[in-house]
Amino acid sequence: MSVDIIMSSQEDLHSTRLSFDEAPWYITDLYATGSDKVAKLGPAISKLKNMIIGSNRQKSQALRQGMLPQVLNLLGDVSLPSSIRQDACISLGSLVKGTPDNVQTVVSANSIPKLIAVLESADEKLISYSLSCLTTIFSHEFAPTEALFATPGLIPHLLVLMNESIGNQASVATILSNSCKTREQQETLCQQDVVIHLAPLLCLSSLKVQMPAVNCLTALAHKNERVSNIIATTRYKDTLISDLLLCLIGRDGPIKLQLNVARCIAYLHRSNALSSTDPKVVMKALPCLVRLCGKEHDQQIRITAAETLAYLIEVDKELQGIAAISNHLIPTLADYLKTPTVVYKPLNKSFSVNMIQAAFWAFASLGANDENIRKRIIETDNLMDRVVAGLDDSNEMVALAAVRCLHSLSRSVHQLRTTFKDHSVWKPLMKLLQHGNQEILNVASSTVCNLILEFSPAKEHMLNEGAVEKFCKLTQHSDSRLRINGIWALMNVAFQADEIVKTQILKSLREIGTDQVFRLLSDSEVMVVMKTLGLLRNLLSAPHIDHIMDLYGTEIMQATILTLEGDHGPDVKEQALCMLANIADGSTAKELIMMNEDVLKKITNYLLHANPKLQVAAVLCISNLAWKEEDGSAERQSKLREMQVPKILHQLITTSDQALFDRVKTALNQFAPN
Amino acid sequence: MSNSGNGTTSESRHNSVREGHSKEKWMEKIDSVQIPRSEVNKLIMNYLVTEGFKDAAEKFQVESGTEPGIDLKTLDQRIRILESIQCGEIQEAVEMINSYQPELLDDNRYLFFHLQQQHLIELIRNRNIDDALKFAQENLADQGEENSAVLEELERTLALLAFEEPETSPFGDLLAVSHRQKVASELNTAFLGADNSESSVSKLAYLLKFILWAQEELDKKKVRYPKMTDMATAFIDDSK
Repeated sequence: MSVDIIMSSQEDLHSTRLSFDEAPWYITDLYATGSDKVAKLGPAISKLKNMIIGSNRQKSQALRQGMLPQVLNLLGDVSLPSSIRQDACISLGSLVKGTPDNVQTVVSANSIPKLIAVLESADEKLISYSLSCLTTIFSHEFAPTEALFATPGLIPHLLVLMNESIGNQASVATILSNSCKTREQQETLCQQDVVIHLAPLLCLSSLKVQMPAVNCLTALAHKNERVSNIIATTRYKDTLISDLLLCLIGRDGPIKLQLNVARCIAYLHRSNALSSTDPKVVMKALPCLVRLCGKEHDQQIRITAAETLAYLIEVDKELQGIAAISNHLIPTLADYLKTPTVVYKPLNKSFSVNMIQAAFWAFASLGANDENIRKRIIETDNLMDRVVAGLDDSNEMVALAAVRCLHSLSRSVHQLRTTFKDHSVWKPLMKLLQHGNQEILNVASSTVCNLILEFSPAKEHMLNEGAVEKFCKLTQHSDSRLRINGIWALMNVAFQADEIVKTQILKSLREIGTDQVFRLLSDSEVMVVMKTLGLLRNLLSAPHIDHIMDLYGTEIMQATILTLEGDHGPDVKEQALCMLANIADGSTAKELIMMNEDVLKKITNYLLHANPKLQVAAVLCISNLAWKEEDGSAERQSKLREMQVPKILHQLITTSDQALFDRVKTALNQFAPN
Repeated sequence: MSNSGNGTTSESRHNSVREGHSKEKWMEKIDSVQIPRSEVNKLIMNYLVTEGFKDAAEKFQVESGTEPGIDLKTLDQRIRILESIQCGEIQEAVEMINSYQPELLDDNRYLFFHLQQQHLIELIRNRNIDDALKFAQENLADQGEENSAVLEELERTLALLAFEEPETSPFGDLLAVSHRQKVASELNTAFLGADNSESSVSKLAYLLKFILWAQEELDKKKVRYPKMTDMATAFIDDSK
């Protein structure tokens, strides 16, 4: 083909060499010195400019031919005629419209300070070319935004320049919107009055100026309470900036602008600058975002709308409720998960992935609090299948979104029961428990905790997948959330489990370390202690009490004493006493308590504790120990009488606390003759 | 009910949409709508300015008192560049563009390709085959690399080189003078888009599109109404 023949002869021009390639006249002339310097420079820089505009290959080639250092010199040489400096600036601006590599090369050559220096000149055209160039540079993620803050007085100067022309307004607003990446940067820009300077831009009728202004305010507001508050309360010519924003969200305006304004309002709300009942949030931003999820819009719009909506309603039950009944949102989001049946051009793989992710995030937020909404989501055709498939996705972000979604829905665990008739959800979920990503680990383990309680048939299946070992491993994690989830999961697994499962749990904990249980009981996180005690309680439920105490009695008694003696709140002590009550319920296990003077004394002391809950638990212990229908009750009762227990019980019978009264009555009954 | 447009037919009070409207009643309604002359003048001025008819715009300003809305002198540059293209002087045009709006061609690569392509066509038209080959090699090949959408157009253009009489070849349409106009239009649109203008289409063209769209929607719903069948003359046909 004719094209191939021509293109193949380009090969030698593509070879990369370390030294500069042989340069054409217009580049060598840039280095001209002497009396005819200016006469040569003019045509040279003009020719260079015309060569590189429009063609990435020419840009790369010119860089290889060594034009950059000299162009920068020309830019900064105030003795030269302005047309030459302008062409130099235009050339730089053209270079950075090339490949990201081109941009990197330009940045690495220290161009940014030189471009900033030019902003001080009196040449308006030169300034606007420089601003354009900087705008392009800073639109790249890797651009060093610190450079803007490093030059003292630059930000105020940019704001002054902004007022001079529409082009400047667009450039400066765009540069600033790309420079609010860190909290520090947000604060600095806010301090320098950027917010009030952006306000007039919102009122102009040019999209080129409104968009960057909105984007800048959005970037400033992002997760920053202080700045968000300032934005929400600042007035421009007697109108609140947030009201000015509202003028731009109208349906007759460009879609992208509506979306960006809605996003700004969402960020202001989440940073607590606008309340969830504020009409701007609930009557404008929310419906706008819901609407933009519709099929008629571009994929990228739909993705951003869904993600922003998910963020907006993430923590507010009211907003979730409103969103769920808006505009058929749930079926619309379900549509995100469908792979297109007709492909007009090659599927943009990255977009497809993001559609799925965005939908999962939105569902996760929608279903966070309300049972009915969760029901509707779960009942949507095909949705749970896609969620489970998402857990297995090789793309980490999709897996995270899927497990978050599942986590929200898992709060309606009994509803999920019919959906997960087979065990399809467990395999991928178990796999996630070994994931390297901590966030995924956290959400997956929380989800398992929710699911595991209800799905008793699945417990055995999970044991085969090594679930118990995985949970035990989590209890060692440095992240406290993961320790909590690990021990909570074990607690739920142990609930009404059979003996095999229970012994497996204890065995696995021991395998981690013989004192793992003790370590957990002394954990700095109270929740870990509570759930560990909860685990032990569940382990010690009939009919396994005796057997478990046979195997692990010493450890468990030690653990209980440790907890009762430790510096814990009443909730923890109550748990420990309930455990003792369970032990006291066993036949042979009772003796472990009876033999232990120390424990008996402690129980007795708790009978008279100020906190009635602890009293109830203690009385239950006594009740179980004294239970007259058990063998050996006579000896046990006699021991208890020695310790004045019945006497104390009689004292307690006068209590006004109903629960305590009932228990005491039962206990006293044990001591009464038949 | 008769649909012949006879005004004396008695129409039921529920003038259901499905029964159609008579053309006479339709025209009556149209006539009763008042549109101030100044609005029409603004539309005309907008058209002249958008399409770059500077002299006409100046004259119209004098005759009708309508403000052009922009400084007509700024049209000069644009007009000069477009005229350059109409004359086939592409490289001169590109240099002017790069002085007038240096970012335009970097931001509109497809347009840039069309300009390069047009230059190649001019070289071929002048039977300047050596220069044509050199230009294609040095400048056009990488355009195809960067943007695969243009490959097909590139191939067609290069194929011209194979013919002794390119005008009569299957790709001869590229050599038509109207092709220059096509490029000029594309460039004009890009200018207007970059210029912070509200729209790169004149309001008049926009109105016509709106009429066509509205009629299409009515057709979809199988509504019968007097249709405008000729845009240029605004001829409205009987209700069918």
